Amino acid sequence: MTGSNGDQQILRYRKRQRFIHLLMASSFLVLLFTGLALVWSPLAWLAAGGWSRYLHRIFAVGFMAVPVLYVVLHPAGAKELLRESFSYDRDDVAWFQKMYRYALGRTAEMPPQGRLNAGQKLHHSAVMVFSALMVITGLILWWLKFGLAPTQLAWTAMIHDLSMLALTLLLVGHIFFTFVYTAWSSMASGYVSKEDMELEHSKWVEELETEAAEEASA
Amino acid sequence: MEYAFLLDMTRCVGCEACVVACKAGNELPIGRQYIELIDQVSGTFPDLTGGLQNHRCYHCTDATCVAVCPTGALFKEDGFTRLNRDACSGCGYCVQSCPYGVPKMSGGRSSKCDACASNVSGGGRPWCVQTCPAQALEYAERDKILAEAQKRLDAAKAHHPNAQIYGETQAGGLGLIVVLPDDPEVFGIPADPPPTPVVADVWKNVIQPVSMGATAVAAVGLGVLGVIARRNHLAELEEIEENGHAEVSASDSMGEGE
Repeated sequence: MTGSNGDQQILRYRKRQRFIHLLMASSFLVLLFTGLALVWSPLAWLAAGGWSRYLHRIFAVGFMAVPVLYVVLHPAGAKELLRESFSYDRDDVAWFQKMYRYALGRTAEMPPQGRLNAGQKLHHSAVMVFSALMVITGLILWWLKFGLAPTQLAWTAMIHDLSMLALTLLLVGHIFFTFVYTAWSSMASGYVSKEDMELEHSKWVEELETEAAEEASA
Repeated sequence: MEYAFLLDMTRCVGCEACVVACKAGNELPIGRQYIELIDQVSGTFPDLTGGLQNHRCYHCTDATCVAVCPTGALFKEDGFTRLNRDACSGCGYCVQSCPYGVPKMSGGRSSKCDACASNVSGGGRPWCVQTCPAQALEYAERDKILAEAQKRLDAAKAHHPNAQIYGETQAGGLGLIVVLPDDPEVFGIPADPPPTPVVADVWKNVIQPVSMGATAVAAVGLGVLGVIARRNHLAELEEIEENGHAEVSASDSMGEGE
């Protein structure tokens, strides 16, 4: 596929993956603001009386459905995400050492990266861990709140809040890199410029080329 | 200045005038009352003990409801636990945490006795105190109330050898000083309510403000850095376009385009 400016485009995320990303992003944002309404007095009027709290629960179900839907709709993609997010190679270690350059928008001297760069791997694994904490404490607050002693309640609420802080900071970083590297299209159309990928994910482009060559010779 | 109520249960006749005055004066909705008279009976016949519990907010100095309230709707003022219902999000943590089971949800928000803040700010007295026909309720500075409680206790000892003052030290000292005819357990009142969980203080006074601050700083900081970094990246791309485009295109053998 060729992009509007003549760049060669390659498919990075399939429609199913983009849908799952959209579900996660939208439910996360609704949960963030309806959650904030519970703990921040200027927004408290949204929560009192209940409707933002119902929204919180409805979108909590959406958020919890994300991993389930990923496995059901695109098992290969889910497996790939899990495998790649938790495995690092030497280039990844070297990448972390130069991460400040990447954060400053300079990719030219970064070590070659696969489909996910080392930062994305860390981001994904952190999102998985903190989302799991979020879901566990959230379910406790939802279903078992009135069985908790004050200390247990405070601990649960605090872990819930801290996990949300971590996820929100991860989101801020996610938006930052999307903006710096013009990465919006990967989740909008699913396609990205091949030239960009050769710069930022050269090992992945090589992999794709090898696969394409193997397919052609078969 | 710390104020307090005196509740003299050696004088309370259980007429419920305070219940009604409170409900009417505070315009409480149907089904909601801040004071309840509960008949407490324990033991097996004929060895029964018990009496009336005048159940209402004890206005703890070390108030668990205030500690767990995430929005600050519950707060301490003049020795009392006040509630700003406009700031309440209805999370229900106070209902869940109060050792006396005082706050209740009403209209989606917490509701509890606020020691008639609107009455006393105008120089008046709380509704229940105004109405009590038996002088079982008084309202004054806390040290005066404690002195009065001691006088009442001395007088009551003749009839109630087990009589005692409740609230001088419990939960950091209560804003409701009760003269009890017997041990608190007899009336279903905890002798010593559990202390406020430390983690609740940390959560509310450290974690929450730090979280808000960290998110704001990260968003603003990365916003500024983002503009700089994007400019760097675009400049880098331009440089590659000028100097290194040939080699990038040369390796470009895959796909159907161009």
